[in-house]
Amino acid sequence: MATQIIHSDQIYIEGIANNDSAIIQSIYKKFVPKVISYIRNNSGDEDQAQDVVQEIMILLFNQAKANKLQLSCPFDAYFFLLCKRKWLNELKKASNKGVTINDEYTSNNEPTEEMVTQTEIFEEKQELFDLMFQKLGDKCQEVLKLSFTLKSMEEVAEKLQVTYGYVRKKKSLCTGQLTQWIRENSRFKSLKIT
Amino acid sequence: MNEENYILFDQYLQNELTAIEKENFEKLLQEDQEVASNFEIYKDVQAQLENKFTLEEERNAFTENLKAIAQQNSNLKDKKVINFKPVFYLVAASVLLLVGLFLFDANSKPNFEDFNQFDEAHFIERGEQSDYLKQAEDAFNAKNYVEAIPLFELILNENKTAEIQYYYGVSLLENNKIKEAEVAFLALQSGNSIYKNKATYGLALAKLKQEEYKSCKEILLTIPSDYENYDAVQKLLKELN
Repeated sequence: MATQIIHSDQIYIEGIANNDSAIIQSIYKKFVPKVISYIRNNSGDEDQAQDVVQEIMILLFNQAKANKLQLSCPFDAYFFLLCKRKWLNELKKASNKGVTINDEYTSNNEPTEEMVTQTEIFEEKQELFDLMFQKLGDKCQEVLKLSFTLKSMEEVAEKLQVTYGYVRKKKSLCTGQLTQWIRENSRFKSLKIT
Repeated sequence: MNEENYILFDQYLQNELTAIEKENFEKLLQEDQEVASNFEIYKDVQAQLENKFTLEEERNAFTENLKAIAQQNSNLKDKKVINFKPVFYLVAASVLLLVGLFLFDANSKPNFEDFNQFDEAHFIERGEQSDYLKQAEDAFNAKNYVEAIPLFELILNENKTAEIQYYYGVSLLENNKIKEAEVAFLALQSGNSIYKNKATYGLALAKLKQEEYKSCKEILLTIPSDYENYDAVQKLLKELN
């Protein structure tokens, strides 16, 4: 990630991360109508547009919470481009033949494009991770889930009625298993930007 | 990569190594590229897990807030009138057809309420047991989950059985304590009781209730076809597609 000057619109990102209703409200007032009208004019309806907006907002929440979202371009352009690309991808997936969309798929604005790419990489990594997590055995999933929801590993051990040593080891090895799968995955290799 | 290294990673991140061990580990990171790159991924996985689980509650609150705000704003939306030029009618018609197909699909997302028909509870009383069991059974069958939950908790404290754990999970789910319900079901899912598949189905319904259709489907696909209520599984899967 290149170090760049943070845009003053970072307030929207912070607002999303803090679940700040006033900021979210202003995003819906200022930026969402444009997305909705775009999707409605491109084979979608209001509900589908709302779904896209919601997905992108949750994605931004996740990325902001992971401290990996520093805006270097206006929020407006960034948000619109993200929603637009998500919608076009969905159209593509929904059609068997691969619809040709007469639309510029990318923006000409470089900082915006770079920001969008970063977010899309974050999303892909998250999806890949979820997929790998599902591949884990039940016991691993449970130990990991509890390790990150309960306050201490002692509590995890107590909850599962096993020893502290066991859950500690299990946690390391299950995280290790995920590490190994992710390392071996070819998709990860092309996403290797952290 | 051997297992020892992953255990070492965890101890290092938890700051549990002695000064010498720590120094050795940091030296290893500098010398061994493979270990170093694995360590980077390990840290990343850790961060992802943290994001996934630690923030679950916050994320749910955020999503709820989003939905409420979206709702408010869509009521205010202005209805735009689009003037179609005649040449566009043909295009519009075909687009409408596509949208129609699309909508048909999108609107048919199943509801939790269509699939939450759980069996009634009929607990076998074992002589000396407290009468909580009977009270819990009655409360559950009357769909009075608020009352049933603390009763189940009392019973589980005395004697943890898969049967009670399952009905406890269902009550939590019905009472919108989705996270707790998931924990209850997860414990059963990893066991081998006759409630294993029922609990898995419960987990899928928990996802359905949260409108997480993708995870719902993924969970349903893990239920074996000999599950007694497999018809419901198939029906839900069909509606999810």
